[in-house]
Amino acid sequence: MTPPPARRRSRAQLSRRSLLARGLVLGASAPTLSALLSACGTQLYTSGNLVIASPSHPVRWPVHQDNPAIESGLKPQAGSTLRLYSYSDYINPQVVKNFEKTYDVNIEISTFNDTDEALAKIASGDLSYDIYNPSYDQIGKMVAAKLLRPLNHDYIPNIDNLWPNFTDPWYDQGWEYSVPYTVYTTGIGWRTDQVSEDIAQRDNPYDVFWDPQYAGKLEVIDDWHTAMDMVLLRNHIYDANTAKSADLDLLRAQLMDLLQVTRPKVTITMYNDLPSGQIGLCQMWSGDVINSIYYLPKGQSPDILRYWFPADGRGMVDNDLIVCLSGGSNPVAAHTFINYMLDADVAALNFSYVGYQPPQKSINPKTLVAQGYAPPNLATAAVLPRYFDEGVHLLELPPTVDGQWHEIWQEFKAGG
Amino acid sequence: MADRSTPRGSRWIWPALAMPGIIWVTLLFVLPLYVVMAILFGQIDPILRRPVPVWNPVKWNIIQFKYVLEHIVGSQGYFGPALLRTAVYVAVASALCLLIAYPVAYYTARFAGRRKGLLLALLIAPFWISYMMRMLAWINLLQNDGLLNRTLSLGGLLDVHVNWLSGHAGTVILGLTYGYVPYMILPLFAGLDRIPVSTLEAARDLGANRFEAFRRVTWPLSRQAVITSMLLTCLPMLGDYFTNDLLSGSPQTSMIGNLINTSVLTPGQTGQAGAFVMIVLIVSIVPMLLYVRANREGEAMRS
Repeated sequence: MTPPPARRRSRAQLSRRSLLARGLVLGASAPTLSALLSACGTQLYTSGNLVIASPSHPVRWPVHQDNPAIESGLKPQAGSTLRLYSYSDYINPQVVKNFEKTYDVNIEISTFNDTDEALAKIASGDLSYDIYNPSYDQIGKMVAAKLLRPLNHDYIPNIDNLWPNFTDPWYDQGWEYSVPYTVYTTGIGWRTDQVSEDIAQRDNPYDVFWDPQYAGKLEVIDDWHTAMDMVLLRNHIYDANTAKSADLDLLRAQLMDLLQVTRPKVTITMYNDLPSGQIGLCQMWSGDVINSIYYLPKGQSPDILRYWFPADGRGMVDNDLIVCLSGGSNPVAAHTFINYMLDADVAALNFSYVGYQPPQKSINPKTLVAQGYAPPNLATAAVLPRYFDEGVHLLELPPTVDGQWHEIWQEFKAGG
Repeated sequence: MADRSTPRGSRWIWPALAMPGIIWVTLLFVLPLYVVMAILFGQIDPILRRPVPVWNPVKWNIIQFKYVLEHIVGSQGYFGPALLRTAVYVAVASALCLLIAYPVAYYTARFAGRRKGLLLALLIAPFWISYMMRMLAWINLLQNDGLLNRTLSLGGLLDVHVNWLSGHAGTVILGLTYGYVPYMILPLFAGLDRIPVSTLEAARDLGANRFEAFRRVTWPLSRQAVITSMLLTCLPMLGDYFTNDLLSGSPQTSMIGNLINTSVLTPGQTGQAGAFVMIVLIVSIVPMLLYVRANREGEAMRS
């Protein structure tokens, strides 16, 4: 697992810039070039078998001696900078300001579009971010690659504010490396002025995506696992991580059929496209439908928006996490920040901006409407704790299975 | 003997003069190409599924390149249609660009007179606005309640609800044409402006009418500029992906640029993006060679 020490040392000693300068001075003869490029090469993380956590196989990740947690009792350095790596608009700017004021720490936010891209950048080791918001299927590889810093629980007493099923989650037993940030479901969003039927009343609401009357008016989420699992759910297959060839054949056939029948747009901008009226219905994350209220044109009432998620909870449920990166230079402030975000009032303030619900005891999903977080017509966007027992989880797949899924997705994205 | 008679140092003068060109090609072409190839023929990290470039050509592995080639034709050939689509879109968009750009450049070069400078500045004006902003402007025009649909419905008299942005090939081609047409006007103008008026006057004196003079003199003399400007627009169009992302977003209008973008962002598939890059490169080298040949012929003709 440990990368070759020589290569690691060369990374530390030579910056890319200095390498380039030396290369120019030396002239680009072939052997020099090869050596030059090797020096700025990528680390190869080889290890034994990849461990995959799942609800039926909870995992407690190892804490490596050479990557220990920070000591207790330290204070964040005044005037220091805490670097966040997150989706855009995934934290309330007011929360950021309040934290900066309270702890005299500057926050610098960089954003990414998807977590695969983010992980690639973090792994390159060039960017020293302190805090990152991964999904739970990334924890295993990040621990294996020693990209995460184990958490010192002394700094994070606010963990007690969370739903009990998140204080010892299956994907990170004993929350060694992560705390949950937001919870969300994946369902169907639509607007009543463009879709006259009540999709929730259909025997199988997922069928709308294959209904020719909505051709050119709908979108599916541009995430391979989320979009593809919708096909499985439509067929009542509740193993979102299936490796059965019959399931995958069905998946491929129906995905190609989808292209032909309704020409969906594949994107993650439904929080804007639905309220602006570009589309009538879409596959949607619950947090995005709550967000979309703020993207409605002026004067448009949010009454027209609807969201469906199976009432029995057997749909896609997910949660994003907050982790402390080992490459960050401000781990004490990072721990302080994590605890701050788990404070009930801070979490509520943050929720009012990002639209994604935190798994806080103080926020009762049944009273989201009464508390003004969502209009009555979007009460279905509330995420209930029981969904995490009943719902479908998108797990990390073993490399061969992952390859098969991606091949189908690639075929879909190429337009068939 | 001849060497000895040349002044000292002249042995170095030509290589020295060639150095800027060599450095340019090395830094901006050879080096990036080598990196692409090291990734295409390299390894994949088993945990993070990131590409691990292999710099030693002896150790290169062609598995990813083979995978892409095997999926272009045949029963598993799902990349094939996207490549064909790219060729058609680029060909149609380039032809449209030429149809628009040639008369504009011709007018500016021949008839604009004192206003030539002003017209040129106006033609360059689109460059001042970012390509992405120009595409985003089209979204506003083409959306369901956008200006185009409102115009077509004659202010609400007719019921027009065309979803222009929902995966229409025409919309993507329009975007490409609009986006790249300025790149075509400038080289065309440069070419047309260089044609001596005396050649046209000679043609007219010898009895050619306006059309004949154009067909026999202007067009042949501007052919090289046409080829240059076609290349200047075709090559970036071949790698374009965000015109399609913004104006369609549907896989049904995916171009090779979208395949590259998807592969780059998918863990474990970055090498395949390298394979697509190589395909674009190989395909675009052929017209480039044609261009060089045309250039040489042109020079031979002039001399």
